Amino acid sequence: MVMTSVKAPATSGRRAPGVRVSGLSVVYRTPAGELPAVSGVDLELVPGSITGVVGESGSGKSTLALSLLNAVQPPGRISAGSVEIDGLGDVVRLRGEELRKARGRHIGYVFQAAQNSLNPLKTVGKQLLDLGRSHDVADLRALVRDARDLLGRMGMDGARVLDSHQHELSGGMRQRVGIMLALVLNAHLVVLDEPTTALDMITQANILRIVREVHEERGLTTLVITHDLGVVAEIADRLAVMYGGRVVEQGPTRQVLGAPRHPYTQGLLRAIPRLVGDIDEARALPGRPPTLGTIPATGCVFRERCPLRAEICATAEPRAISLGESIVACHVAEAGAGPEGRTRQAAEARKAREEHT
Amino acid sequence: MITGRNVTKTFRQRGGVLSGREVTALRGVDFAIGRGGAASFIGESGCGKTTLGRIIAGLEEHDTGEIVIDGVPMSSLRPRQRQPYFRRIQLIHQDPYSALNPTRTVHQTLDAPLTLRARQTRRPRSWVDERAEELLTLVGLDPGYVLPRYPHQLSGGMRQRVVIARALTVDPEMLVADEAVSMIDVSLRLGILALLKDLRERLGVSVLFITHDVATARYIGEDGELYVIYRGQVVERGPVETVISAPVHPYTQSLLSAIPVLHGLERPGEQPVLPTEALDESRPDAGCLFARRCPFRTGRCEAERPVLGHGGDTPQWHACHHPERRSVVAVPIGRR
Repeated sequence: MVMTSVKAPATSGRRAPGVRVSGLSVVYRTPAGELPAVSGVDLELVPGSITGVVGESGSGKSTLALSLLNAVQPPGRISAGSVEIDGLGDVVRLRGEELRKARGRHIGYVFQAAQNSLNPLKTVGKQLLDLGRSHDVADLRALVRDARDLLGRMGMDGARVLDSHQHELSGGMRQRVGIMLALVLNAHLVVLDEPTTALDMITQANILRIVREVHEERGLTTLVITHDLGVVAEIADRLAVMYGGRVVEQGPTRQVLGAPRHPYTQGLLRAIPRLVGDIDEARALPGRPPTLGTIPATGCVFRERCPLRAEICATAEPRAISLGESIVACHVAEAGAGPEGRTRQAAEARKAREEHT
Repeated sequence: MITGRNVTKTFRQRGGVLSGREVTALRGVDFAIGRGGAASFIGESGCGKTTLGRIIAGLEEHDTGEIVIDGVPMSSLRPRQRQPYFRRIQLIHQDPYSALNPTRTVHQTLDAPLTLRARQTRRPRSWVDERAEELLTLVGLDPGYVLPRYPHQLSGGMRQRVVIARALTVDPEMLVADEAVSMIDVSLRLGILALLKDLRERLGVSVLFITHDVATARYIGEDGELYVIYRGQVVERGPVETVISAPVHPYTQSLLSAIPVLHGLERPGEQPVLPTEALDESRPDAGCLFARRCPFRTGRCEAERPVLGHGGDTPQWHACHHPERRSVVAVPIGRR
């Protein structure tokens, strides 16, 4: 029997898009005035790469991810900057129907706690058809077939999953359904917000492997948002570290983890409980991450918790500079970049250590 | 101070379409935590570790087996008589956001149990405020800052410290921390773990960690004991460092293999173990509970259920017919 492909997707041949976030700022309106959640972020997603954005609560990482969809909800708004996506243009300028079509078709989004973002009253299949209709998919049969293939690809019985309600699926299965729904309209830019939170270790390892494989097979550009450095270390090619609404360090994952330049990245790496090595070497960062209301208005956002802080850190915001393959926003790292600065950095570090002990 | 022998627990679904269905949470578990001692229960969700923690904290009844506290078998007592025993064991929840009443300040949160405590121990009313400040200082908080504040005004880490301070109001002899750091910011987790370790050393309270994150299980201290629980059965048990550095049960090995590698800082272990299939509890298992997922299973594994022992002369206990050390844990690359 000869099978002829009934569906010739209008999007066939589309390639992994590049994304350029430039000078992006997002503010939230509060009784205390408009407060910045994301400030002047520059970030490039290289076509075909997996970029990880890591940060603690309140670092602005989820707000940044929502900006890629131009989906920041009031009282928040994008106050400056642009998000250029290949084939779409600047999504910050998209409105209404144009924007709705772009979401899903071009940009797939797997929400935080995707385990709980399904409709409990409808089967997965019904929700898939709703998605197809809202995006005017002509051939719903083909859509269902694609969904089944994708689920099969992720190690599940597609037909059975489509017939299931949310409560019949485990956390790891729901997460994979979320990934399927993000990809089934053939989006080539995928944003995963905390894809493994609340999953067990073995399930997490499986989901990460699936994300990586699907990413490669379908030729995607992928952005993973997480608080867990281990997750990005495992799958991301490039890594951006956020703190207080800024990207404080970014670069190739191995570079950032192997030779972290920003004191926050260094502290974060030291604060992770590890399986091997001296148990007492790991220590928590002093202080607490800033919230919307406590992000300092001037100077470096990290200075209050920084062991290397210098006078300039209180007055001037550090600019992003290139150090090797990394981009770092830190006065001390910048000073340390030159031959003269290196001694200064060492002296300051010594001073900071003495103050600490 | 507390031991358990052959503790079992089965939940029966009541009402609804699943009525009558049984879920076996614990299949005969032994444990022992000494005075001032420490233990960690690790395993995936649904393995029974939380149920066991709740039984230990007296919040859940077990079916068969015996729980002994300070030499007294709990089965010999009426439920009311057991209360003073279980009051010494305090549970710290995973979620510091819902564990505190949002309409009460930290002062009010601590005041109620301390007032009761003062009455029980015939202490003057003035002791209550002193003790509140003392406890907050002990858990690393500034009493002047936190006492007048409501939970929403505190960070997750601070809230968890308040929860711990509240647990300490009744002078417990043991703290059961169920995923106590999983909802706390990464940079602050170690602070809470260190606090629990510190309380153990300074106050002599026993600590039981319940977690799915093996790395945090290490932070109970080197003398702590690790229990790896799989589908209601302890499959490996021994000193923390032994089980982590030289695990012999394939399930423990797959748990350890699943921990993300910090590429650039570490290289993966040389013999990672991957389960051959996903967990499926719908079919019964005559032999080893892990056999169907185990890459090393033999005919014996499918026919005969292994019991916890030292087979193969391993230093730790394990329930495996073919115990073998494998290097599964990531190794740091030199030093920075």
